[in-house]
Amino acid sequence: MTGGGHGAGPLARGVAWTTALYLLLPISIVVPVSLTDQRFLSLPYHAPSLRHYANLFTSEAWLGAVWQSFWLALASTVLAVAAGTLCAIGCWRLGRRSSEAVRALMLLPLIIPSIVYAVGLYRWFGKLDLLDRFLGVTLAHAVTGIPYVVITVSASLAAFDPRLEQAARGMGASLGQTLRWVILPRIAPGIASGAIFAFIHSWDELVMVLFITSRDVFTLPRKIWDGINENLDPTMAAVAVLLVVFTVLLLWADGELRRRRES
Amino acid sequence: MSGTAAAGHALDLRGLTRRYGTFTAVRGVSLRVERGQFLTLLGPSGSGKTTILMMVAGFVPPSEGQVLLDGADITPLPPERRHFGMVFQGYALFPHMTVAENVVFPLRVRGLGRAERDGKVRAALDLVQLSPFAERRPAQLSGGQQQRVALARALVFDPALLLLDEPLSALDKKLRAELQDELKALHRRVGRTFVNVTHDQDEALSLSDRVAILNHGRLVQFGAPAELYERPRTSFVADFLGKSNFLRGTVRGAQGGAAVLEAGATRIAQALPDGAALPSGAAALLSLRPEKIAVLAEGEGADTVVGGRIAAWSYLGADFALDVRTDDLGTLRVVLPSWRAPIRPAEGMAVRLGWTADAAVPVEEDAAA
Ligand SMILES: Nc1ncnc2c1ncn2[C@@H]1O[C@H](COP(=O)(O)OP(=O)(O)O)[C@@H](O)[C@H]1O
Ligand SMILES: [Mg+2]
Repeated sequence: MTGGGHGAGPLARGVAWTTALYLLLPISIVVPVSLTDQRFLSLPYHAPSLRHYANLFTSEAWLGAVWQSFWLALASTVLAVAAGTLCAIGCWRLGRRSSEAVRALMLLPLIIPSIVYAVGLYRWFGKLDLLDRFLGVTLAHAVTGIPYVVITVSASLAAFDPRLEQAARGMGASLGQTLRWVILPRIAPGIASGAIFAFIHSWDELVMVLFITSRDVFTLPRKIWDGINENLDPTMAAVAVLLVVFTVLLLWADGELRRRRES
Repeated sequence: MSGTAAAGHALDLRGLTRRYGTFTAVRGVSLRVERGQFLTLLGPSGSGKTTILMMVAGFVPPSEGQVLLDGADITPLPPERRHFGMVFQGYALFPHMTVAENVVFPLRVRGLGRAERDGKVRAALDLVQLSPFAERRPAQLSGGQQQRVALARALVFDPALLLLDEPLSALDKKLRAELQDELKALHRRVGRTFVNVTHDQDEALSLSDRVAILNHGRLVQFGAPAELYERPRTSFVADFLGKSNFLRGTVRGAQGGAAVLEAGATRIAQALPDGAALPSGAAALLSLRPEKIAVLAEGEGADTVVGGRIAAWSYLGADFALDVRTDDLGTLRVVLPSWRAPIRPAEGMAVRLGWTADAAVPVEEDAAA
């Protein structure tokens, strides 16, 4: 929170802490709620209890949603990483003008409000018979996850010395060999970052899921959403805590990757 | 790295031209390097040296002209089918691989068997004396060591040609001189055709069999180092390759391989080699190397004698460098061996300078930029 070599002034410090608290308080309230001993969303009344965590890990409905979300996120991440990496490398090799246009196009899913996207998907998937199908959600999440991969991979390609590619080609390496032995190892940290973001993106995506699934595909965010609307089961708070922990772990892994790349 | 002496290949450039939009980076460069020769492309920054090398390597397609290897046109071949070794500016070592992995790379892409690969890598690392560093990463090596890894990597697959883009420019002066000698010895040992790019005239003179001098994308002069030094064709060559004084005069009487030039009250006797002619009455430009001017002792004569005063001087260890102001020829730079020099230089000291008729050479004036 301090910039350059200067210490932050008291005002800047205050603003920073206020912002941090503003961001963190709503999240931290779920921790005590998840430990409630009551059967509705509340703070612990007599003593903190782990019963809702126990419920989460024994309930077939919750566990099913967790696993479905996990496999969805994994499948869509694989697709997004493959497409996003190839796109970023292609743009990088093409050079300036044309590739800027392609790159801008790839970022569209980030720019278009997801509700607009979801409405479009709903109409389109209906015709393709992809509504409420694992494949449909995988594709939707993969396409919207591509921008994260394109951004991170493009960033690592920007730091890639193009003479390394020339050197490899000059020594007789084919395009495939150059890609496999020189380019991919150099941009692997960028690909990993992109994969982590694409995974998180799918893992907690709700808006599209609400539109294009009904009964067969039932992801974790969807289950929480339904839970809030129907009953106020504190298991949701337990799930929320685990979600936060999981995401923080992924982001920490990303930070580690970046640190390792810089050293 | 076996069976070398005649293993080099001859390289022909024919009318090589490269345009970037409306800008012409290289125009109409033609030259020939014989088998096993060491060619240096020498020119100031931006003169098109790298572009020529890239066209030879196949990374940059020429706008016009051809590249011929042993008489065969290789212009359409992509770089990976040319089998040229290349040392890039800044070396372009793969940072995620060890030294050994870097050197084995060209063998790996060719699908060589493990035993053969290991043998060749060992031989290449021995050649550049880097065997103890095989397991290090490039970042853990000094600049000179990195340069040698790049050389080993470029030579390990017995390339038809070795291309070097300013291989020594990133090194400090002492190391540069050392590696210059190593590079020369290496060239002799492997017997291949080398094409080297540099902007350093000493490197070009000491390493090369042939030097091509470039300016603004044009080949200004091509020849053996001594030929270029002794017989520069233009003032640019004379100035870029070594130091030079330029004398301007009007030709008065030229006949039978000799001419007299007049500059104010000074008469310059000038030999005209190989039937060169200077039209009488025309203005002429001579290039005169500082070390070819003598400081004359009392009563001593020379073909051309001019008087002046020392405007500035410096002691360089082996030599004195004098700037002598003359009435008719401007300020002349004189390099005088300091061992048993005939004078003790001092500012304002009057001296008589002299040189022989064959010391200077007539040069063409380069059109400015
Ligand atoms: N890809 C390119 N696009 C446009 N201009 C270029 C390109 N490559 C080189 N040039 C220009 O061509 C000229 C010669 O460049 P270069 O061959 O790199 O010179 P040198 O190696 O002698 O310093 C320079 O003026 C440079 O700006
Ligand atoms: Mg260059």
